[in-house]
Amino acid sequence: MRLAADRVLGIALIGLAAFAAFKATQFQVTFSYEPVGPKAFPILLSVVLTALSLVLIFRPGEDGEWPDKFVALKLAAVLLVLLGYALLFTRLGYLVTTFLAVLSLARLFEASWPKALLAAVLMALGSYYLFTLGLGISLPGGQWLPDFN
Amino acid sequence: MFDFLIHGFDVALTPLNLGLAFLGALLGTLFGALPGIGPINGIAILMPLAYTLGLPAESALILLAGVYTGAEYGGRMSSILLNVPGDAGAVMTTLDGHPLAKKGLAGPALGLSAVSSFVGATIAIIGLTLFAPMLAEVAVMFGPAEFFALMVFAFSSMAVMMGKDPIKTGIGAVLGVMIAMIGVDSGTGVMRYTFGMAELYDGIDFVVMIIGLFAISEILLMLEHANRSDASDEIPPVGRVMVSLKEVLSCKWAMIRSGIIGFIVGVLPGTGASVAGAVTYTTEKRISDKDNTFGTGNMRGLAAPEAGNNASAAGSFVPMLTLGIPGSGTTAVLLGALMLYNITPGPMLFTERPEVAGGLIASLYIGNIVLLALNLPLAGLFAKVLTIPRWVLVPAIAILAFVGVYQLHSDLMAIYLMLVIGIFGYLLRKLGFSLAPVILGYVLGGLMEDNLRRALSISGGDMGILWQSGISIGLWIAAVLLLVLPWLLPKLLPRKSLASA
Repeated sequence: MRLAADRVLGIALIGLAAFAAFKATQFQVTFSYEPVGPKAFPILLSVVLTALSLVLIFRPGEDGEWPDKFVALKLAAVLLVLLGYALLFTRLGYLVTTFLAVLSLARLFEASWPKALLAAVLMALGSYYLFTLGLGISLPGGQWLPDFN
Repeated sequence: MFDFLIHGFDVALTPLNLGLAFLGALLGTLFGALPGIGPINGIAILMPLAYTLGLPAESALILLAGVYTGAEYGGRMSSILLNVPGDAGAVMTTLDGHPLAKKGLAGPALGLSAVSSFVGATIAIIGLTLFAPMLAEVAVMFGPAEFFALMVFAFSSMAVMMGKDPIKTGIGAVLGVMIAMIGVDSGTGVMRYTFGMAELYDGIDFVVMIIGLFAISEILLMLEHANRSDASDEIPPVGRVMVSLKEVLSCKWAMIRSGIIGFIVGVLPGTGASVAGAVTYTTEKRISDKDNTFGTGNMRGLAAPEAGNNASAAGSFVPMLTLGIPGSGTTAVLLGALMLYNITPGPMLFTERPEVAGGLIASLYIGNIVLLALNLPLAGLFAKVLTIPRWVLVPAIAILAFVGVYQLHSDLMAIYLMLVIGIFGYLLRKLGFSLAPVILGYVLGGLMEDNLRRALSISGGDMGILWQSGISIGLWIAAVLLLVLPWLLPKLLPRKSLASA
């Protein structure tokens, strides 16, 4: 059998279905007023998922286009920026993290340094005032370094 | 019988709601015009903000429905000008729209598509006004067993109609339903799949789910597109946007036919604008493509899918408002938005919350006129939106996603969850999945289980109740037929279909 993306996916999904069904059998039901209970439906879903995944394994579709190394690295970089944005969001505050996030995202999407800097300043300040003054949303002010709790 | 509509216009014509309908139409057109940001993304990004503003349910729904219908208008811009569909519903619009633009007729193409969008939407909104209350009266007779059968029908119609791969549509829907299982089981209080994390006790928040699934995965996809060489960002000159009356009249039957077909496709649960666009285009090609000019810039080939996809957008409100079953991925999101307000759409909506149902329908009439008025004179201006570079767009989506999710509970966990769901959504899309079934499964999953369990509680565990009434038997048969026919028909008449093809 050819190793196709759909086959790998199918096997992973069967694993997921087995895991979900196993977890479902472990639910501790102390009392129940109804005949079905919380286990049956998830188990039913696992069965359906397994059946569909089997079809996928035996009749996989096209592999599709996957990013090359360069693009994959950039994707990882974008994810890292987003993760960093999340990690520092409350710690460095909205303005600083948004500035950094916009700057790095704009650079990753091929803006020149001056353009990226301009976008970062304008978007951080603009969105801050739009959200706080315009929409009344409270944004994190920043616990500031080195308070990593 | 039309009291709800009169009452609805009272609601929709208040200054606040009128302003929101206008704002929604404007934002929706912009969102639709931007490649990659379709109606779902637009609604996903705006929904938390609408909720924070403390808008009443009907006002929030009017705003979001405006975004939805506006995005269907806006989706045609990049289809025509760049040959890149602005959203899934506008795929067929590229076929004749872009060739017209290449011939230097970009302006008339934009004008004609705006008029056909208007005609299609008008037909469908009238249909919605006529049929929704009727369907609601039938739906009152639905019990849990009928609702369960209806959802099975919705999923099978989705599997058949949506996307190229019914298996993947099915898997996507099941995954969505499984995600909906996370959290406390309402019947027994049992924790399901929470892995001891307190943040998951209430399940995965709806806003986190759609922003992660759509907005975050879109950022990742945009990066890939940016690195592809075949992306052309050059916009042909728009020129005059007005179409001549003669051009419009030559397409009138195409518009009317497609409007009706689009409405019907929209009403079918689970099938949305992309199916409507495809069905109407192929139908119109069969009926009126006598000199084989479809695909080379035929005006009818542009009018048909545009009337169709806008009609289906309005049509998909029928099952959502009357049965609580969304007709498309976007109405699934709107349904989730209503649930945030503790309103469960269903047959009682027209009697219990007429201001929501009537206000929404009335605002669709108003929004449709606003959209035509905006889109004819301002098409050139909207076209400028297409030149917004990705390095501005992507950070803006990221900011809106982060703030939208953070302000729910001022909770970082929700943001991490959003990122994880975003990666999951990206992988699914790369593997050839459409995300609409996932979101439909997620929205319907809880209801489906509730109805199944309620039905079996009534019968004391006897499965027979699921196919006892005429309505449920009909729905089961329809569901089975939908699944079997596309596979069976070609086998029954292989010769005939070959000969006619």
